[in-house]
Amino acid sequence: MSVLEIRNLHASVEDREILKGVNLTLRSGEIHALMGPNGSGKSTLAYLIAGHPHYVVTEGDILVDGESVLEMEPDERTKVGIFLAFQYPVAVPGVSVANFLRTAVSNVRGYTAQKAVAEGRGGVIGSNLMPMREFRKELNDKMKEFNVDPSFARRYLNDGFSGGEKKRTEVLQMAMLGPKFAIMDESDSGLDIDALRVVSDGINKLATSDRGFLLITHYQRLLNYVKPNYVSIFYEGRVVMTGGPEVAHMLEEKGYGWVEREFGSEAVVA
Amino acid sequence: MSVIVKEAEAIMQSAAGFSEATVRAHSAARGEPEWMLNFRLEAWRLFEALPWPKATDEAWRRTRLTGFDLTRFKPVVIPAAEGKKSELSTLLQEELDEMESAASIVFEESELRNSVTRSPLDSQGVIFLDLQSAVHQHADLVRKYFMAEAVKPGQNKFTALHAALWDTGVFVYVPASVRVTLPLQVILNQSSEGVGGYHHTLVVTEAGAEVTVVDDLLGARDGLQASVVELVIGDSSVVRYMNLQDFDHSTWNFLTGRAVLGRDADLRWIQVSWGSRLTKAFLDVELSKPGGHAELLGIYFPIGNQHIDHQTLQIHRAPHCFSDLLFNGALKDKSRSVYMGIIQVLPGAQKTDAYQRNGNLILDTSARADSIPGLEIEADDVRCTHGATAAQVEEEYVFYLMARGLTRAQAERMIVQGFFQAVLDRVPVESVVHKLERVIERKIGG
Repeated sequence: MSVLEIRNLHASVEDREILKGVNLTLRSGEIHALMGPNGSGKSTLAYLIAGHPHYVVTEGDILVDGESVLEMEPDERTKVGIFLAFQYPVAVPGVSVANFLRTAVSNVRGYTAQKAVAEGRGGVIGSNLMPMREFRKELNDKMKEFNVDPSFARRYLNDGFSGGEKKRTEVLQMAMLGPKFAIMDESDSGLDIDALRVVSDGINKLATSDRGFLLITHYQRLLNYVKPNYVSIFYEGRVVMTGGPEVAHMLEEKGYGWVEREFGSEAVVA
Repeated sequence: MSVIVKEAEAIMQSAAGFSEATVRAHSAARGEPEWMLNFRLEAWRLFEALPWPKATDEAWRRTRLTGFDLTRFKPVVIPAAEGKKSELSTLLQEELDEMESAASIVFEESELRNSVTRSPLDSQGVIFLDLQSAVHQHADLVRKYFMAEAVKPGQNKFTALHAALWDTGVFVYVPASVRVTLPLQVILNQSSEGVGGYHHTLVVTEAGAEVTVVDDLLGARDGLQASVVELVIGDSSVVRYMNLQDFDHSTWNFLTGRAVLGRDADLRWIQVSWGSRLTKAFLDVELSKPGGHAELLGIYFPIGNQHIDHQTLQIHRAPHCFSDLLFNGALKDKSRSVYMGIIQVLPGAQKTDAYQRNGNLILDTSARADSIPGLEIEADDVRCTHGATAAQVEEEYVFYLMARGLTRAQAERMIVQGFFQAVLDRVPVESVVHKLERVIERKIGG
């Protein structure tokens, strides 16, 4: 049982404060939906958990099982079990999905920490990556399980992928890396109904008791397929309300206008 | 107080170390026939007559020869008669084993060290011979093609010097309709320090022939190498040529290469410019008959203070030809690269389809890449595009890969590998691709 804890997190970019005291706790086995209007700082929070260098934390902390991750590089956070599924995964031409994933998985599982087998002219010849055969087998199995065409292994990472293919590949990567906490940043945006079903099926399969999910979304749509335990409303850089699934339904009925009237800075003054 | 000597003067004085007598001795030591001696002497006179490059010459504006002194590079070692039998060094053996080949020729210094043939080339009439032997054994063919059809001695100062002093080299001749499927591999290791070498590659194919030739160039510490590559490609013939230059980072390297394509001929030239302190490479393809298809692919990766300059020319003389050039370079530290390219479409070369692209990935802000693409079009029904890019490694890419568990070093390495992959994807021979992958890895790792 693990806990991801965000404590009174304040963060800014270029002296503009974007997060204004976020408090949120995510435990293994929980699915927590974080809903909010565009520009409320949801994606900033996702990036910050993953360790994006662009933002400056001015106050508060992010902890995994009581240990602060703020000083960790993004790859070190991956090793303690944090995974961010990007809203807009970048395309890396020339780098195949399989090649990249093998390196990633080898790091996270500690293969690369072992000594290389042999050294040759100018570099390491013996591979200290996960053995190719094992890796291939696992990747093939996971591709089948998560409805990703086998040809994707050889394709260049997100290069020329459709929106749906990118999101599916994000799910595949998550399945291979097996994180403790998955932050899904708008994984439903830009998807048609079929792609949405594939992505939500993937999330449901991976939503085991040893894993927590933070689903960041603007719409109710994804929540028709993935049932959250908790729903929080995010507004102007903080969590303004937390409850059960009924919060999402309420939000759908009343709209973000209601949130603004209820929790907007003017409302607070009034 | 310091005295500043003008660059041109300094170089002029330095040429005094060589003379016509050097050329005569060089030829005599190799027991060459008279026609070759005369060829060399003619070239020597051209060399003396041609001016040294000046900083005001367009081709040399961005690549200065400051510090270059020809006299410092001892005239080439005279070949010893009994050199062939000794064993290859581990380095050369590894280099050989890295690639599967139909046959290989290895030079150390100016001397033939080893020649192995694994396929029945002779029975098919294929000639794959060190050039020195070919001068004797295939005089008619060599005389017909050697620096006559593709690169002429007078093309520039260094080709004239090369023609006068050429030492190592190979002659490849593939008769009509013969296909050599595995590569022919040539390795040159200029192992003594501080010497000048002049390596020659002459490939001639007849109609419908097919061949792959790989030049693998090593060593030349504190030395000079002025090489020439000539590809004379017959009608409907397919030639793949790879020039893998991995000299020591102290080498002055001058390369002049030209391919001349016959009707419906197909060329893929892969240029890897990895080593040397300074490289100036002139690479031309000439589409002289209709239907020719030429691809020029290049990668370079200067680090430290390396300076790599490619100047390319795609000459469309005949109609309905296609040429496509892609040169990608990554630059580290205080290195510098220059790319100058021209697509030249001559009158009458209608329906020309020509492309030219140069991409640069700048890994350190202290590195600098200059890219000057150009078009000279004298026909009106053509399609030509060109472009150049210079970019740094995007922080968003690095973050994405790091968020998947890659270290910063791994992420940057992968992005650089990916950048070169666009070129590797077009290298047709698998064993060559693997060799290149290892070469790239070595450089990234180092």
